[in-house]
Amino acid sequence: MVSTGASRQLRFGHWANRMTVTDTNVQAVNDIDPSASQSTRRHSRLPSVLNKISLLLIWAGLIMLFGTLRPHTFLTLATLRTLSGDIAITAVMAIAILLPLAANTFDLSIGGTMGLAVIVVTEFTVKAQFPLALAVLLTLVIGVAVGVANAVIVSRFRVNSFITTLGTASMLVATQQWISGNVPITFGLPKVLTDLGTATLFTIPLVFYCMVVIAVVVWYVLDFRQFGRFLYATGSNADAARLAGVRTGRIVSSSLVLSALIATIAGLLFVVRIGGASEDAGTSYLLPAFAAAFLGATQFKEGNVNVPGTLLAVVTLATGVKGFQLMGAAFWVQQMFDGAALILGVALAVRSGRQRVLG
Amino acid sequence: MTPGAISAAGLTSSTDSALSVTGLSKTFGFSRVLQGVNLEVRAAEVHGLVGQNGSGKSTLIKILAGYHQPDPGAVGMVGLRTLKLGDSRHAFATGLRFVHQDLGLAPALNALDNLALTSGYRRSRSGTISWRRVRAAAEESLGRLGYDFDISVPVSRLSASERTGIAIARALDSAGSRPRVLVMDEPTAALPVAEVDRLFQVLRTVLMGGVAIVYVSHRFSEVLEICDRVTVLRDGRNVATRPRPSLDQPTLIDLTIGRALPLPSELVDRDPTTMDPVPALKVRSLAGRVIDNVDLDICQGEIVGVAGLTGSGRDELADLIFGVSPRRGQVIVGGEVVPSQRPDLSMRRGMALVPAERLLKAGLGRMTVRENITIGNLRGFLSRFGLKREVERQEAQQWIDRLDIVPKDTEAPFVTLSGGNQQKAILARVLRLSPRILVLDEPTQGVDVGARAAIHDIVRQETRRGTGVLLISADSEELISLADRVAVLVHGRIAGMYSTRDMTPSMLTELTV
Repeated sequence: MVSTGASRQLRFGHWANRMTVTDTNVQAVNDIDPSASQSTRRHSRLPSVLNKISLLLIWAGLIMLFGTLRPHTFLTLATLRTLSGDIAITAVMAIAILLPLAANTFDLSIGGTMGLAVIVVTEFTVKAQFPLALAVLLTLVIGVAVGVANAVIVSRFRVNSFITTLGTASMLVATQQWISGNVPITFGLPKVLTDLGTATLFTIPLVFYCMVVIAVVVWYVLDFRQFGRFLYATGSNADAARLAGVRTGRIVSSSLVLSALIATIAGLLFVVRIGGASEDAGTSYLLPAFAAAFLGATQFKEGNVNVPGTLLAVVTLATGVKGFQLMGAAFWVQQMFDGAALILGVALAVRSGRQRVLG
Repeated sequence: MTPGAISAAGLTSSTDSALSVTGLSKTFGFSRVLQGVNLEVRAAEVHGLVGQNGSGKSTLIKILAGYHQPDPGAVGMVGLRTLKLGDSRHAFATGLRFVHQDLGLAPALNALDNLALTSGYRRSRSGTISWRRVRAAAEESLGRLGYDFDISVPVSRLSASERTGIAIARALDSAGSRPRVLVMDEPTAALPVAEVDRLFQVLRTVLMGGVAIVYVSHRFSEVLEICDRVTVLRDGRNVATRPRPSLDQPTLIDLTIGRALPLPSELVDRDPTTMDPVPALKVRSLAGRVIDNVDLDICQGEIVGVAGLTGSGRDELADLIFGVSPRRGQVIVGGEVVPSQRPDLSMRRGMALVPAERLLKAGLGRMTVRENITIGNLRGFLSRFGLKREVERQEAQQWIDRLDIVPKDTEAPFVTLSGGNQQKAILARVLRLSPRILVLDEPTQGVDVGARAAIHDIVRQETRRGTGVLLISADSEELISLADRVAVLVHGRIAGMYSTRDMTPSMLTELTV
């Protein structure tokens, strides 16, 4: 037997493995015998360390590339400032989906939840003239309510999470349009909010620091709390986790409530940063968030969604997009980039797991 | 042997070679899994292939099937044709056929579809599927093997031996080339004893049709019954190829593990007067899908076995008692009623389960061995600041050492362990909880002889702590060697409770029918 632990910290359930949904795929998992898994292991051992931090190298490469090509615009504090602000919200959204994803549960409604938070908090503060604290509190309550609704449908009525949140996502967008009459509030926000949006610390916007705090908390929960372990166990093999005493229904439910809460916070940060609402505030973040989470799963803890990998993926993607924009690329570059990154992330994870993936 | 002789007679004599492989080596990365292995299967023989998990027999079969490439230098022949090793199309074209352990059937489809998916749907002239012809073809190929069952129900509702039959028929059916050698990988792993005989009849029918059989199994009694010659692999090398008359069970065990089995620890004194008068587990009027009105008591330190054929409710019992699936009736552990459908509460009351299907129901595949061992209870590692990883790692290491789990690495991914070591890790998971009642569902399924003996030993030791054990097994030998009493399930009811003291496997088998 070759010892692998030292060189490879494949610790929690492989997400691609967790995403195997059909009977035959379960059989495929079952079919792994010692000799086959030995070969898989050796197959992925060779690239080992470099592979695990490949994004870091790509990121460094991008910085050098654009730094050389556009030294006067790219390597500036202004770029750092806008980049860190842009990154913050995408990163919070990506962290939001990590929790359900670790438990092999999809939350496609985080975009809708974020968008609803954006509309609701601006309506409360500008139209209803609620005190800011009350408006924020009510928004958070609404966000949690969305998560609870998802959780009840998934765990009580046993509807697949992908379908459930695909449905609620659409309903959330509809609710947004209903409330705002499709005319998002773009000015008249309390001055405190707009000031927060422009405030910086060491030239980096405050929203970035909010994101860092959320990231640290989620990383701690995933790696150092019982709840995190139970999330990964549920994702690795829900039946086995249940037979080992994990209350998998509760774990999945909690992850959906938490993802909705974090998406709501992302919505609040969006309003702070932009200083107003926007009709597609939420949905435009869904795909980048998934792309970052999946691409991040190829880093550090190879094959498992994790916070550091996700942050690295967000930063790398944003750096690439920003660089191309400074080179004069068109506005559609970002969507092209994110889409390609999503496919690439899943493809790499499939290769390392040799599993078929949903879809 | 000359080519002329074959074409003239149209038959092959029993000493002709149906399949031969010489000098087969296989290296994965830095480790040689096979080293110059030879295998010769004669026409019209059943050739046994035995060896522990990790001995290389799976790799050998996978190379034959064309799934792995061998190292250069190996020569393969099927009959008189050279076999391109590592080429699955060529393996098929020369007449090699495989039935894998999991059979690879689509459980929701019926026999017709499962057969037609491989051999092709017969069509009418207009191109639509002709179900009449599909049915006729399926009935013919199953009938040839002596099967007669309803081919229109989903195969998941058929018995294990009927499913095996479909897999065999499918392998032999496939159009394009004449089948010459059928490789059966652990065909009886999921078969109850009574159905094994049925399978053997089928294999003899296959043999009569001029197809040689390679029979891979952990069960030496079966190998000795059906095989004409046996090849033993150990650590990727040939140990021996011998005709059956020169073999018996102890010899085979010696050859496969290369040393004598460890002696089982001595049995505890089971004088009834020393037993706890309050049973550790009381089951009253238990009922589920098949199980119907079962009462059962297990005392502290006692091992109660459960025997029964497939369909007797044997495979349902563990789930009902542990509270996985909905049940009627009562389960009482240590005087407290355990609620249904709450495995976590069953565990809190002192029950622990080792489920039957290790990879589907027990293993957290890509989590580490450490995490697989500790998942049942993390409370000991919790501090105000989260999980204390080092404490957890040390405890996992102790269990790895105690149960001799290989590799001795807490951070190895669970799936990379062999079947026996995976099962030991699952045992560590449940023993860590110091259960009052241990429910073992097929604890040594797909596990090699060495690990099997070790697992039996661990279970015996556990009873000394006073743990009551419910041992559900399709393996009569296991039940008799381990259990104090055996309950025999017939049609969902306990038909009788027997002492195992003077029982033989064949007696027990007879009782289950």
